[in-house]
Amino acid sequence: MSGPGAERQWVLLSYRLPREPSTPRITVWRKLKRMGVAQISDGLVALPADARTREQLDWIAEEVTDFGGTATVWIAHPAAAGDEQQLIDALTQARAAEYQQVRSEAEAAGETDDLGRRRALTRLRAELRRIQRRDYFPPPDRHAAEQAVNALHPANTRKESTP
Amino acid sequence: MKWATRAGIHIDRAACAWLIGRFIDSDAEFVYVTDPAHVPADATPFDMRGAELGHHHGDCSFETILRVHHLTEDPALRRIAQIVHEADIEDERFDAPEAPGLDVVLRGLSMTGDDTRTMAVAGPVFDGLYAYYRHAATLGRDPA
Repeated sequence: MSGPGAERQWVLLSYRLPREPSTPRITVWRKLKRMGVAQISDGLVALPADARTREQLDWIAEEVTDFGGTATVWIAHPAAAGDEQQLIDALTQARAAEYQQVRSEAEAAGETDDLGRRRALTRLRAELRRIQRRDYFPPPDRHAAEQAVNALHPANTRKESTP
Repeated sequence: MKWATRAGIHIDRAACAWLIGRFIDSDAEFVYVTDPAHVPADATPFDMRGAELGHHHGDCSFETILRVHHLTEDPALRRIAQIVHEADIEDERFDAPEAPGLDVVLRGLSMTGDDTRTMAVAGPVFDGLYAYYRHAATLGRDPA
C-alpha cells in the first residue's frame, strides 16, 4: 500500500453500447467483472493503472467499438483522496468476499473423502487464481483462502485435531 | 516492410513480431510507438486499437494474423496461438497450462530491458516452442 500523498493512477473506461441486442452488453460486462473493475457509474469503470489493466481496458474498448458502441480509455487520478479510498475499499471488499467463499468451500471439502478433497483442490486452485488475477489490494482473507485450499493436498493434510 | 506496434511489448506483440519475421516478412523492420498517431505512414500496424491485425471477435492479435495470413493449417502455430490467447486474454477458452508461465517470463523480461532486448530474447523462445509443438504434432503426444 502506498502512503498518503502517493499519486496512484487509474485507468478508466467510459463506454456506451446499444440497448439491443443485449448479448454484446452481457459479453462486455462479464469480461469487466472478470477483471474485477470498480464501477463508478453506469458505463464508467475503473482499475488501478498498470501495463496489464491499461491493455485489458484498451481491448474491451476495441470490442465495444466492434459491437457498434463507443468507448474511450482515460488515465486519471481522483481529485479527492477520500473518493479514491472509497474505490479501493469497494475493490478490497469485493475480493475479500470472494476469498471467504473459497475458504469456506475448501473447509467444507476438507470434511469429505480423498477424492472429494482432490477434486475440490483442483477446482478451488483455479478459482483462487482467477480471483488473484483481479486482486489489486490484497485483503487478509487472501492468505487464509490460500492456506485453506493448500490444506486439501494429501501432503498437507494433518491428522484430525481434537474437536 | 515496416511494421508498427505499441511500445512496452508483452506476450501478444512479442509473439506477433516473431510470427511476422519468421513466416510473413523475413526483412521485417519493427517500430515501437507510444501513441497510435505516431505509426509511420508506410508501416503496417499490429496489436493496436483500430488495426486490422488486432484483437477481433474475441481473438488476440496473434490469432488474427494467423487467420489473415492463412497460417492456420500449421498445428504448431495453432497451439502457440492458444497459449498466447490464454496468456493475453485469460478467458479459459483453451486449456493452456503453459500460458501463465510464459506470461511471467515475458513480464519479467520487460522489467529488465527495452523492447528490442525483449524481442531478441523472445525470438529463440518462440523458435523453441515452435520446434517443440511441431515435434509434438508429428508424434501425436508430448515429445518429453
